[in-house]
Amino acid sequence: MFGQVLATEFTKLHRAKATWATLAVLAMMPLGIALFMWIVREPGRAAQLGLVGTKASLAGLEATWPEYFYMLTLVFGIGGMLLLAFIVANLFGREYGDATAKNMLALPVARHWFAVAKLAVAAVWWMALIVLVLLEAMAIGFAMGLPGFSAELAATGLTNVLLAASISFLLAPVVAWIAVLSRGEVAPIAFSLVMLALGNLFGRTGWAEWFPYSIVPLLIGMVADPVDTLTAGSYVVLAGTFTAGTIATILQLRFADNAQ
Amino acid sequence: MEETHPATAVSTRALVKRYRDVTAVDSLNLDVRRGEIYGFLGRNGAGKTTTIRMLLGLIRPSGGEVTVLGRRIIPGETSVFSRVGFLVETATAYPNLTVRENLDIQRRLTGSPPGSVEDSITLLRLGPCAGRRAGQLSLGNKQRLSLARALLHSPELLVLDEPANGLDPAGIVEIRELLRSLADKRGVTVFMSSHILAEVAHLADRIGIIHNGRLIEESSRDDLAAKARSFAADAYTPEEREQALLTLDLERYFLARTGDAATGEAAAGAAATGTAAKGSVA
Repeated sequence: MFGQVLATEFTKLHRAKATWATLAVLAMMPLGIALFMWIVREPGRAAQLGLVGTKASLAGLEATWPEYFYMLTLVFGIGGMLLLAFIVANLFGREYGDATAKNMLALPVARHWFAVAKLAVAAVWWMALIVLVLLEAMAIGFAMGLPGFSAELAATGLTNVLLAASISFLLAPVVAWIAVLSRGEVAPIAFSLVMLALGNLFGRTGWAEWFPYSIVPLLIGMVADPVDTLTAGSYVVLAGTFTAGTIATILQLRFADNAQ
Repeated sequence: MEETHPATAVSTRALVKRYRDVTAVDSLNLDVRRGEIYGFLGRNGAGKTTTIRMLLGLIRPSGGEVTVLGRRIIPGETSVFSRVGFLVETATAYPNLTVRENLDIQRRLTGSPPGSVEDSITLLRLGPCAGRRAGQLSLGNKQRLSLARALLHSPELLVLDEPANGLDPAGIVEIRELLRSLADKRGVTVFMSSHILAEVAHLADRIGIIHNGRLIEESSRDDLAAKARSFAADAYTPEEREQALLTLDLERYFLARTGDAATGEAAAGAAATGTAAKGSVA
């Protein structure tokens, strides 16, 4: 039965406008970074075209592959956390927004399969987005002829992006739980925005490695220099967050009132 | 699993649902016999939908128990719903999916054969809009889609919350005939709620009236009709009775004038059932 639930969830994902919106938004990010890099590299031409180059220069950025990878990691880490929250909020919360949850939950299917299938679909789409947009980003980087590329740099950069994306996913079940608890999409997105701000705040304290929403900012260097490796404690916190979020979502679907 | 009397499709015992200070359903004892059409009548807010949600395990009772097709409903236990078709409150579907895709989801998740999608499209006359997205459908066609979804897996029990919502008079008659035929020919039990008296009067074998969460009356349609007739003799003025007859005449006339190949049968059916109803009002 899980296979059938998964197939229906992929059908819903495929036909949802939000799915393609997330691809469009994430695909814009490398283009934005590339534009930023081009302004830094060609301030004269950028000024001629009416693009303000001063802020880009003040940011101290260089139009190189290391900087490009650094910015990609930032964008995938932070923008991705929000985008993934949007995907998960849509998958779970939309069932309540469209009033289809009542139909889904009275089907002869164990309710935990819906939670597992939706999270699996979110994971697959999230990874597909990352891979697609990374390919786009690499193509743009080469097309721009950025200096400083090396295989080692690419391997480190891609590993960081994939690690940040994977860690972001470990936070997704909590978003799913908020969606089914609040029976909608707004609360989980608002929750994610608040957690992002809190994560940024905690990231500047000594508790950063223990607060789940500070771990991605810590890893990608959003609030300080990026850490080389996360502590075992951080991985335990992330695993605990993932497990607690998944169990809470399943229990909510299984035992709580699910009227709309 | 506890097995109730085999002749009972739905049973509730001392069923209670409270929302903080509000008691939505209060000590409800219901027995719906297999193969009958049970009309669950009540005003808006009487507790009909809350009862249906508890029958389908969507909300937990605050007290008492629910048994459906011999199985006690407990939170998260959904296996019995392979034998139950339902429509709760408003007709809903995945708006970005077509009618056919919506039904295919139901087919997959109920383990029904591939042909069941087309069968239910035909049964509910959804052919012309089968390829359209559900979000673009009229309210009446959304209701048909919801009914098609409820019927797709050939359930033994249909739990329908206001099944006539959004349907035009011909559609109402058509659905009425369909439900009657399912009960008579296939032995399907129908538990339908409504606040539209005429709808229940036309169709139900037995009627229960819920008010403020309590079942205040339960009897066969004929018994209830006799009581209503006796009550009406004293309560209605001749003008009011004339108005009620006019409404029925208008329905028959409307169906006759707007009937086509599809609704012709409906009009004929309306004429037949209209006569019966007329008798009960007069």
